[in-house]
Parts: sequence; C-alpha cells; structure tokens
Amino acid sequence: MSEDVPDEKKLIRAPGNLVSKLSEAANRQGKTFYSYVSEILEQAVRAYEMNHGLKEIIDAYEILEVYKEAGTVFAPRDFVEYLIGKAYGEDKETLQKLWHQAGKWCGVYLKEKSNDAIDAFVRLLEEGRWDMSEVTMKRNQEALEFKCVSTLVSQERTELMRRFIEGAMHSLGYESKEHECFRGIIRLRFLPLVVP
Amino acid sequence: MAARVDLADRISEIASRRGTLYDYVNSILEQAVRAESMGLTLEEVLDDRWVIKDARDAGFAVVPEKVFYELTEDAYEKLGKRKMTSLWYEAGQWYGRYYEDLGRFEGAVRRYFWDLSELKISKGDKHLALTCLSSKFSEAYTELFSKFLEGSLNALGYNLDQGEVSKGIISLRFVKSKGV
Repeated sequence: MSEDVPDEKKLIRAPGNLVSKLSEAANRQGKTFYSYVSEILEQAVRAYEMNHGLKEIIDAYEILEVYKEAGTVFAPRDFVEYLIGKAYGEDKETLQKLWHQAGKWCGVYLKEKSNDAIDAFVRLLEEGRWDMSEVTMKRNQEALEFKCVSTLVSQERTELMRRFIEGAMHSLGYESKEHECFRGIIRLRFLPLVVP
Repeated sequence: MAARVDLADRISEIASRRGTLYDYVNSILEQAVRAESMGLTLEEVLDDRWVIKDARDAGFAVVPEKVFYELTEDAYEKLGKRKMTSLWYEAGQWYGRYYEDLGRFEGAVRRYFWDLSELKISKGDKHLALTCLSSKFSEAYTELFSKFLEGSLNALGYNLDQGEVSKGIISLRFVKSKGV
C-alpha cells in the first residue's frame, strides 16, 4: 500500500481460533501478526474494489490449480484449431479417443482431489470455458444435463469437447444417454452407471 | 486483534454494506487461512486470479497437454519442419506485437506456459540472453517453442544472434535491432 501508512491502530473483534491460526502462519513467515493482518486486510479491500469476494477469488484460483495439475496447457487458439483441423480429417477416431482419455484422466483427478467431483468439473468448464460462452449443468432427478455454447469453436472442436466431457463423466460414474452436437453447441444427458 | 486504522475503517465501511463487521472479518480471515493452507498469500491468489481470463483474451485456448503435444508431433512429421517452424514463428510474432513490451511478454510466458520449469531472460544494453527449460518438451516441440520465442523477441526488437536448442533446453542470444 502507500508508503505513508498511519501508525494508529484500532482493535477489531475476530474469532479466536482464526486469530490463533493466522498468528502461527505469521510466525512461520517471520512476520509480526500486526503486519500479517494488515496484508490480509489490504487484499480484502483490493478484492472488494475488484467487485469480487475473497471466497469467489480463491475458488477460481483453485480451478486454475486443477488445470495445472490435471494436465492441461494453454496454446495459441488459432494453432490448436489448425492442428485439429488437419488431424481431424485424417484420423478422427484417434483424436476423439485422445480427448476422451484426457477427459477420463481429468475426472479421475477430480474424484481424488475434490469432495464433489461433479461440481468441481462443472466449475472447471465454467471457469476455463474452453472457449465456451455458456456452460450449464442441470440436475433432473438422477440425470445430469449439460449445455455448452460457443460462437468461437469449429465443428471439430465441438465434437472433441463433447468427447472430453463424456470421458470425465464416464470416470465419475455416469453413462451417456443422449447427445446433440452442432458447431458450437453441445447438449449431453448422463445417468448414473448401474453396476449389475 | 489490532489493525491499521485506515484499513480497519475501510473494512468497517465495506462491512456496513454487507452485514456485521464481525461476520465480514470472520469471512476474510477464513479465506486467509484457506490461502495459507494452499501455501499462498492472498496477494498471490489475487495476482493470479485473472490468468484464465487474460489467457483467453490473448487468444490462448485450454487444451489437454497430451493431446496438444501429440497433435504437434504428428503435424511436425506430416507437414514438415519448415511449415511448422514458420507457423510457430508467426504465432510468436503475433504475441510479441500483442504484448509490445518485453516485461509483459515475459510475464505472460511465465503465467501461461506452466509446462516450463524455468525461464530466464537477462537483458544487457545491446544483448538479451534467454534460457528456457522443460522436462516435458520433446525434441520437435522444443524446436517449435524456440521459434515461438524467436518470433516474439523479433517483434519486440531483437534479432537472433546465436542459439542452442536440444530436447527440453532452449538457450538463445539476441542482439537489439538497430533503430529500436
């Protein structure tokens, strides 16, 4: 913050258990509790000024970590489209299989890391969007219905996204029941897999 | 707990629009503990919050790593080295022009290319040295990525002077273009 920080202090009432935890954290970082609390409050004000809550910001950050951990990368979009366009015409099946496998891996990862893997997967799609402008998931009794919309992606990438979502949902214990895939629009319906 | 008076006043003012001060402070501290348990400070979390959005705005797409590497390898084989290196060089030029500034470009590479284990750029008066390491890159991919960097730096006013590229290791030296 500014270099002219006031020396005056004010007491704020706060839950004792949290104060203890943060006091330990301040010690670990070699900071005084006072300066550590100042840093926290500065960031809370910063988040407020960004029109976001701290919880929402940390939720989003966690998604970024999932992206890193679950084996995704950023690549120039035109390049991705170009490569997909080239490869899709030659060997569509292999490419679809690769995206399905990538989705499966993502689902397995989320199952291990998250208490509610379905919710985490939807957040992953919403936050990263994969160039989707709209991602919704509705629960209809036991069924899960996905709708993803994009004005940016090609027919090929729409198909591959579908395979990715299917791969993730299959590893999360659901089976595909219906799908509709038109350039930039994906509708999917899943039901829990019944094990005989 | 004691807090700086300006911050305490500001927090109190924000809290008055949301509920009680106690509840608001409670929620702030809870999130600070949560960030700490992730090994991060709130500042770091806030700084990186916009990575995905910024990357999208800059024309990057999220893609499964394995798929992207395989597609690239496959295209390298089928389309040939010349075509692929030229595509990556052009992409790099676009990003160099997009970021306009070496610091911003370096920041973007660090934030978006998390498959890099190291990126070091040292800038002298007339020279610039770049080292980039990744254990994940194949030989072909390393070469393509080096072309991407070369294209970007070229657009930022640096010409390649000498370079060494081998699987997972890129070491390039540039000279400042005249008139920049």
